Amino acid sequence: MLLRAKFSAFAASNKNGNAVTTLELDEKPLLEGEDEHSVAQLVERAAGYLPTQGPIEVFVLTNNLYAFEDQPFHQALKAARDCYRAEPYLSEQEYRRLYGAGRITDEDLEAVVMDDLGERGLKLINGLGMIAEFRFAMLRHPVHVGPDAELRWVVAETDALERFREQTTRINRTRIVTATRKWLEGSGDRNGIPELTSLFDKFGHNTAKWSVAEWDAFSLQLLWRICLKGIGADPKAAEPETFVRPRDLLLRATGDDIDRDVHGVLIRFCAAFVDQGYSDWLLPNRDTGFFEAFLSLYESRTVGLEHWLHGLSSEVRRLKQENVSAEQYIEQALADYGIVASDREAFVRQTLLSLGGWAGMIWQLELGVDWVVHNAPKKSLTGMLAVQLLLERQAIWNLGRDAIGDSSSIPEVLAAAWKKVSQPQPLKRERRAFLLFQVAQMLGWTPLELLQLTEAEWAELGIELESFPSLERRRIFHEAFERKYVHATLDAFATHTARRRNVKPTWQHRPDFQIVTCIDDREESFRRHLEEVWPTCETFGAAGFFAVAMNYRGAADAFYKPLCPAVIKPAHFVQEDVGYTFEGEHQSRAQIRRQIGLFSHAFHKRSRTFLGGILTGVLGTLASVPLVARVLFPHLTSRIRQRFGSLLQPPPVTNLQLERYEDDPGPTNGHIGYSVDEMSGVVVRLLRDMGVTKGEDFSRLFIICGHGSSSLNNPHESSYCCGACAGKRGGPNARAFAQMANDWRVRAKVAAQGVVIPDDTFFVGAYHNTCDDSVVFYDLDRLPASHREDFEVSRKAIEEARQRNAHERCRRFGTVPLTISAKDALRHVEARAEDISQPRPEYDHATNSLCIVGRRQWSRGLFLDRRAFLTSYDPHVDDEEHSVLLGILSAAVPVCAGISLSFYFSTVDNVNYGSGSKLPHNVASLVGVIEGTSSDLRTGVYQQVCEIHEPLRLTFVIETTPEAMRSIMARNAVIDRLIRGAWVHLAVIDPVTSEVQVFKNGEFQVYQPSGAKLNEVGSSLECYEGSRDHLPFFSIHETEVE
Amino acid sequence: MTVDTAMWYLGRIVVASPAFVLLALGVPLLINVRLSEKLQSQLTKFGVTLGLLAATAILVIMLVTGKRHVPIELGNWVTIEEEHFHFHLKFVFDRLSVPFTILSFVLCGTVGAFANVYLHRDAGYQRFFLLYALFLLGMVISSLAGTIETLFFGWELVGLSSALLVAYFHERPGPVRNGHRVWTIYRIADAAFLIAALTMHHLTGAGDFDRMIGKDSWPMGVSAIEPWQALAVGSLLLLAAAGKSGMVPFSGWLPRAMEGPTPSSAVFYGALSVHLGTFLLLRVSPLLAASLTLRILVIVLGLISAVFGSMTSRVQSDVKNALAFASLTQVGIITVEIGFGWYYIALIHMIGHACLRTLQLLRAPSILKDRQMLEDAVGARLAKKKPENAAPPTPFQLWLYQFAMHRGNLDAMLDGWVVRPFLWIFRLFDSFERRWTNFLSGGESRESDRLSPYSDSLEDVI
Repeated sequence: MLLRAKFSAFAASNKNGNAVTTLELDEKPLLEGEDEHSVAQLVERAAGYLPTQGPIEVFVLTNNLYAFEDQPFHQALKAARDCYRAEPYLSEQEYRRLYGAGRITDEDLEAVVMDDLGERGLKLINGLGMIAEFRFAMLRHPVHVGPDAELRWVVAETDALERFREQTTRINRTRIVTATRKWLEGSGDRNGIPELTSLFDKFGHNTAKWSVAEWDAFSLQLLWRICLKGIGADPKAAEPETFVRPRDLLLRATGDDIDRDVHGVLIRFCAAFVDQGYSDWLLPNRDTGFFEAFLSLYESRTVGLEHWLHGLSSEVRRLKQENVSAEQYIEQALADYGIVASDREAFVRQTLLSLGGWAGMIWQLELGVDWVVHNAPKKSLTGMLAVQLLLERQAIWNLGRDAIGDSSSIPEVLAAAWKKVSQPQPLKRERRAFLLFQVAQMLGWTPLELLQLTEAEWAELGIELESFPSLERRRIFHEAFERKYVHATLDAFATHTARRRNVKPTWQHRPDFQIVTCIDDREESFRRHLEEVWPTCETFGAAGFFAVAMNYRGAADAFYKPLCPAVIKPAHFVQEDVGYTFEGEHQSRAQIRRQIGLFSHAFHKRSRTFLGGILTGVLGTLASVPLVARVLFPHLTSRIRQRFGSLLQPPPVTNLQLERYEDDPGPTNGHIGYSVDEMSGVVVRLLRDMGVTKGEDFSRLFIICGHGSSSLNNPHESSYCCGACAGKRGGPNARAFAQMANDWRVRAKVAAQGVVIPDDTFFVGAYHNTCDDSVVFYDLDRLPASHREDFEVSRKAIEEARQRNAHERCRRFGTVPLTISAKDALRHVEARAEDISQPRPEYDHATNSLCIVGRRQWSRGLFLDRRAFLTSYDPHVDDEEHSVLLGILSAAVPVCAGISLSFYFSTVDNVNYGSGSKLPHNVASLVGVIEGTSSDLRTGVYQQVCEIHEPLRLTFVIETTPEAMRSIMARNAVIDRLIRGAWVHLAVIDPVTSEVQVFKNGEFQVYQPSGAKLNEVGSSLECYEGSRDHLPFFSIHETEVE
Repeated sequence: MTVDTAMWYLGRIVVASPAFVLLALGVPLLINVRLSEKLQSQLTKFGVTLGLLAATAILVIMLVTGKRHVPIELGNWVTIEEEHFHFHLKFVFDRLSVPFTILSFVLCGTVGAFANVYLHRDAGYQRFFLLYALFLLGMVISSLAGTIETLFFGWELVGLSSALLVAYFHERPGPVRNGHRVWTIYRIADAAFLIAALTMHHLTGAGDFDRMIGKDSWPMGVSAIEPWQALAVGSLLLLAAAGKSGMVPFSGWLPRAMEGPTPSSAVFYGALSVHLGTFLLLRVSPLLAASLTLRILVIVLGLISAVFGSMTSRVQSDVKNALAFASLTQVGIITVEIGFGWYYIALIHMIGHACLRTLQLLRAPSILKDRQMLEDAVGARLAKKKPENAAPPTPFQLWLYQFAMHRGNLDAMLDGWVVRPFLWIFRLFDSFERRWTNFLSGGESRESDRLSPYSDSLEDVI
């Protein structure tokens, strides 16, 4: 439901161009007779919690917790933790490492603690200090209480009760020991305290003879005993464990995981069910549905099935005979398990989530994916749930027989299992005491002070302890970590914009050339280098489909593919044609390609079969040549392959079929392309978004540069490509836009809408490959002779910029020496893209943390370390309603937040939210990857890309006013939800005054810059040279123009 | 320098270079010294290149001089005179061992280079290369082995490193379980091998292949033993080969071996390990010649495995499992070839298959892109659509599909017919023992019964 709402919001924003987007929640009304708790409803609601990743060829980064997006961030994280059993933050250890490295400072911790507690933080607990102090101490120093066994060991076997903790300051130590000493020497009523008596028995009564170490030990033991006695047990009674799924109960009771067996069979069946054509034999009866296909396959009795499946065929036959549907079967199972009405939803959700990747894929295919070969019939997910329960019941019977000794019926097996579950008796009291004991040392509380606490105060202390567990500490750490980064960012912007006000434009009347790239964070460095190499150029950022939402088919492609954000369903079709002269050659080459294609398909298929023996015997040895060559000499091999490949590719001269003659757009002749009116709409939209509307804004040459990425042996290649082009390469969009904008008829219509493109401005399409840093240009044959020189200038600048860009990227690659030259760096990234053994051809969006929306002139020269999405926007071009900004943000906020959050979650818990290590990945059913031989379908970002990412929520810095943002949030529910729920941070900046306002707790607050120094350097190289780590901000001087 | 001394040195280098890699990577690990990735990769590269060069040099010398059988003696390492036992380390360079050694070096070298990039920054990098060195040493020793003890030694190293590589991702339960399973099957194969070796000792008085398979260079040797003896020893060796090569009924471990990182799956199970069984059969080929029954057994086993593999491979919907069963098909065919006595064909087939499969497995993640390119080239979807008016599947088709999907239920059958009876017997004895101890102690005698599997919650509650 949620998902669909999001989609319709996107679609609306696209259809109406800049028009106001409203969120239509298309809550489907319940049909008559349909119960809210009916199985179909339960399954549909549970499906909302499954991963949304469809077949991997289109990899879209979205918020893993979209199901929880209507809650505030931290609250959602907690809810998701219970739902997915996944980590919400980094580990405390990891935050401490950051704290040690200075990435989190005491100031941040203090500020966040105070902020978090508000008034309550100042409350004193009898003489011991404020609550805030209490928490601060627990953050500054590790207070660790491990599992019970560890606690027992620590108390019994280590010197935790003999010596002060390492982190205890000298002052606190002296304070505790001296107080103990004074008290012993001074007071006479020592016999009244039982703790003392037993301690004296242990240490002896002659205190004068005690050494320093003995005094330490004595004080600590006393402290420990007082803590233990005072704190008491947790007043809350321990809640008995509950198990929603029988599997959890049985696991707890017997240690056997029935999911292992169930999943083994289910995974194979799911893989066969969703298979898009890898296996030679289709799953029989697949089109009848998941449940039905399963029943037909297992109806007959088979000899030798796994032991636990022995009862399956008779059960299946019973279902067939009684004609039980999937829903009915699920109802039966629910009744059998004794699931109460309030648990039904949780049960269905958790059962499906236990194999969430496959369930999610089946759900996506059931909803319908346009471009796949086999979608799933309706009710497939319900069928999957039924099959899972069917198998689960077999496994329970079997386990009952083997491990519990009762197999009469499932309720009885479960009842017997309940009896076997022993409720653990955790060391509640000791745990609390040990925690307090550690805090006491940190804060220098003396035994005497603690002795004076009343019962009520002890209780208060206990509550304070309980209310700041590890999860809360991590939340505070995380907030502090982000605070530090966000403040550094805002300081940098405040200082840099102030500096920029004094910088004169580097060009006289108009720039030498202009270039627009995608807003992608990987283009940040490319643009920065370009501006450094050629200071008289101007750069822009816009969503990489450049307002050209189309289905595209290249000259060598078999099918149309959508090139626009995944949430838009493009209406227009564009095709690449080969020039008339080359048509004949094109046909013959296509024919050869076809022959070779058919042959190699047959070869690979046959090599897996019986007859393949002859083939492999004869040809197999030859395979060693490409094998050795591709692994040892990737670059050379790829050049040879390209040399030969170019003889087979379509001829170099091609055209886009861009103009439509018929009324309706469609994929057939005449219907392909855009009408002139539509083209002008596209052109106006992009130019207005970027704020380039007046004649004097344009240079003679305007380059539109799409991007994408190519790498080998990488099923996740799509995730590296342009997110605004549905994980495809955005070159054709740039090419199409340039062609539209060059058309004089379009220009005339555009001028009528108030955007005047000078006659001498020429648009050129280009494509930047972010993996090997190559840049190619389109349709240069049409470049007028008058613009040759302008183009040569830009080409040279781009050539240099991409080299420097490669060099900056290389600092992140561990195998590349930091001393590498720019030329070798370029060669390195080129080889990287061609290397079949490379699991991280590039780092994708890793390290992203910022999104800047505004004029480039204010952020130009600010070193952002490839961490920022850069969107061009000029508030002066916008209308009263801020409709341009609304249009930009309607796409930018959800998309960038999706990227940022999917990286966040994949980094904090790569096992549950990410897709684990890439090393054992195995492409299954042509829709996704599994780990090794059999596992859940893995979605999310894989570990090798996350390894350099820092989980930070994205910070938007937008050049606008709080009023404008408020009105936009009021009009777009998605933006509102993400910002209000603090899924992203928001700051608005007025570059003329450098005043920054931060959105916090529902309102804008003026940010006071800390005045931290922003280092000024001469070039990007000075910023990053010699470092592999995350870098601070720098201000780079404009390069002098000769 | 005479040819013989050159061979003497080169032969030692071939064996010593992988041993050097193992020591160079293993010793620092033992004394807790962390080598950099770069150093480790250079050591590996050096060892493999050296070994490869030496092996190639031997090949050239053999081709030039016409020598076809060069034994290298390393003497007796263990001798028990009264039992007539000596552990005799001896290597033989001949038409069979030299190509196989070179193949091992080439494939291991390539995969080593691949893995160096692929496993960069991985926590288990060091462990991987240690196991890799162990594997390489095992491969070289078993291919060059001149006595059955030597072969067994290499065979064990290969088995150990393979099982540990399957369990490479030991933080997840799946790989560990599967590694364990592989290891168990290997142990069965090892047991058969060991009994064969003992029987041979008993029959011929020594473990030298010379007496069993004749003194002539491979494959001209003529066995000097009786057909029934050949059948007895040969059947055991066939069982060992079947286990090692994942032939029926042991095929269950082949797909499980795909748990490791892609490069190890590729070279070890796709290419080298899986051929070790057929290599063994080739090595003892004169034995096969001595007994017709044995040859028929070999042919039948090969045929069953090949048919089973090709059938099962057709229903796998993921790349690695499909390739694993495809390997099995070819291994089955190679076995059939050996049974027919086409030794050279089998050798060529083995080498060709190993190279092709390694390439296919290393490129397994490319399947999506390859498919896209093919579809673009062909201009149509490659996936088969079910014909509109297709007849509903017959019960036999359904059965066949289920049979292939469950991989012939081979694992289940081993579990049901071998493992369960064993467990049953052990549990029976256990219950006897319990009754007895309870009787003696006059009450519940086992504290462990009362412990629940999870006594402690690992959650950091505070």
